Amino acid sequence: MSTETVTPEETDVGVDTERVALYAVLGGLVAFYLLPIETGLMTSLKADPFSSAPFLPPVEQFTTAKYARAFDALGHGFVNSFLLTIPATVLSALMGSMAAYGLTNVDWKGQVGILALFIAGIFIPYQAVLIPVSKFWGSIVPLETWFEPVWLLTPGIEQYHFNVLELIITHVAYGLPICTLLFRTFYLDLNDEMIEAARLDGASIARIYRRLILPLSGPMFAVVLIYQFTQIWNDVLFALVLVGSGDGAMVTVVLAQLGNNLSSVGIGLKMAGAFLTALPTLLVYIFFGEQFAEGIAT
Amino acid sequence: MAELTLDNVSKVFVEDDGNHIVAVDDVSVDIRDGEFLVLVGPSGCGKSTTLRMIAGLETITDGEIRLGGEVMNDKEPKERDIAMVFQSYALYPHMTVRENMAFGLEESTSMGDDEIDERVSSAASMMGIEELLGRKPRELSGGQQQRVALGRAIVRDPAVFLMDEPLSNLDAKLRSKMRTELQRIQEDLGVTTVYVTHDQTEAMTMSDRIAVLDDGRLQQAGTPLECYHEPSNEFVAGFIGDPSMNFFDVEVQGNQLRAADFTYPVSDETLQEIGDRTNLRLGIRPEDVTLSTDGATGEHDFETVVDVVEPMGDENNVYLTFDTGGEPDEDDETFVVTVGGMQQVEAGQPVTAHIPEEAVHLFDESSGEAVKNRSLEQVETLGKHV
Repeated sequence: MSTETVTPEETDVGVDTERVALYAVLGGLVAFYLLPIETGLMTSLKADPFSSAPFLPPVEQFTTAKYARAFDALGHGFVNSFLLTIPATVLSALMGSMAAYGLTNVDWKGQVGILALFIAGIFIPYQAVLIPVSKFWGSIVPLETWFEPVWLLTPGIEQYHFNVLELIITHVAYGLPICTLLFRTFYLDLNDEMIEAARLDGASIARIYRRLILPLSGPMFAVVLIYQFTQIWNDVLFALVLVGSGDGAMVTVVLAQLGNNLSSVGIGLKMAGAFLTALPTLLVYIFFGEQFAEGIAT
Repeated sequence: MAELTLDNVSKVFVEDDGNHIVAVDDVSVDIRDGEFLVLVGPSGCGKSTTLRMIAGLETITDGEIRLGGEVMNDKEPKERDIAMVFQSYALYPHMTVRENMAFGLEESTSMGDDEIDERVSSAASMMGIEELLGRKPRELSGGQQQRVALGRAIVRDPAVFLMDEPLSNLDAKLRSKMRTELQRIQEDLGVTTVYVTHDQTEAMTMSDRIAVLDDGRLQQAGTPLECYHEPSNEFVAGFIGDPSMNFFDVEVQGNQLRAADFTYPVSDETLQEIGDRTNLRLGIRPEDVTLSTDGATGEHDFETVVDVVEPMGDENNVYLTFDTGGEPDEDDETFVVTVGGMQQVEAGQPVTAHIPEEAVHLFDESSGEAVKNRSLEQVETLGKHV
């Protein structure tokens, strides 16, 4: 062994201390992030949440009854939330993509001004528009009043469905700026010559969108769909103000009230409800995860 | 098939701060039916803008573009019956080669699927890409993508092909191969073609006629040999030909042209062409100068010293300085001469350069206009002297 090389023992010791420290920090961070979730999960599975320390697993107290009760209580809220989130997410992504295409790849006068308005829209705080929006749907465009004959006469369509429709439109409107911006960054990188080639090939603006832009936007759609789904599903503010509780209540609004009259015993039920409510957003991540990574990378 | 006319075409870009930039200035060219015209010039000379105006991708500020007698100015690109090949190939990345080629026919015609299929197949076989039809662009090499881009233009069967530096992304070997192939295809199809390049070799080898642009203005439009032997001005003379023509500032004194390092006697005929001009630029192509070691005997022989030799194999580029008697120094103006590859020359060697008067070009110093050119009539045809 030459004198320049470090002896194996020395190397091992050096690496070992470093590694131990590294893994200790990593392990600590994992515990830091996962402990609250683990505690919540354990609490939700205990018949009496105070029978042992919150983070310890249930032994004799194990029960899934809280999940059954939470599911019963949230069931209708789930239906309403899906009724809201799926159309609102798809619509805002689709319209954001179209708006971004029109503002990026199509050349017309005044587009910079319109784009500036879109960007400004991103920074409007929800709290600031809460009252105007509820007034808007309450007295200026009262959809539920206008469509009274429809929900009175059509079986299966209820009055609160029009509140959900108002909420869909509201979420699409407020999600549109950020969706447009996300798509725009993606469209700026598209090859201009490709679009020009399509124009020379005889395709109209609409056809270029349909046959080139839309099929190429897949990864960005994954990003925007996940983002919007999570935003809209988790929203409480608009849901509470525009629809509130009752038949049309969203799952987040129902969750907020779940177990409130049960004092301390309600904690386990709340936890179970929270896990159920979070499940769809988790599934969306898993479902679109691969395209999401691709979209982030571009 | 149609003839394409550019009539006093100009393009002015207005920048955000109100600045006007003249990209194309009053360009007029007639491109005959089936002609292969190469627009050539340095980058930023307006050649791509001219092409994009023909395509309809840029508006025309002033003048008129006519295709087959019909004014194109206000027509949409898709109404112009034009196909374009882009530098980046601009293939549709999510479509197969077949779909790429069919796209234009689907969008611009009412052809049935069978007819489209048939035309795609025949264009693909013309380009030798039949076995690639099922692949996506990212699975193709640069050369194959280039062929698909050409195939996509051919399948449309347009009145005019426009090509924007289509070969510049290929390696040198493939480029010269595609050059020949492109020329053959254009000849077979007989479609009027406008080809943009900054590469004067492409311009010389491929074109029926060259249009040389500089700073938005048309300098000369003519056959490759006209542009080479009878350049209309100093810019064209310097741009066409590789290595470039040598230029010297000269002053007319009697029947002599006096440069910084040498004095060049001229004949009465040349003096007549010079007229009353006093300051000129003398141009001589590297291949027109002959070297010997016999010493200066004629009045057009000059003593020079070899500075640098660049061996190319088939020929040597020899950089010379005039032997003015003093010590050679770095500021001495060099000029380049090409000699046969079998002719060995070494740096530092004294040689005699013969600059024949019939090969000398003279340009007006201020306007750059040609005063005296080499005559095309001196060009020899193989087997007979004209």
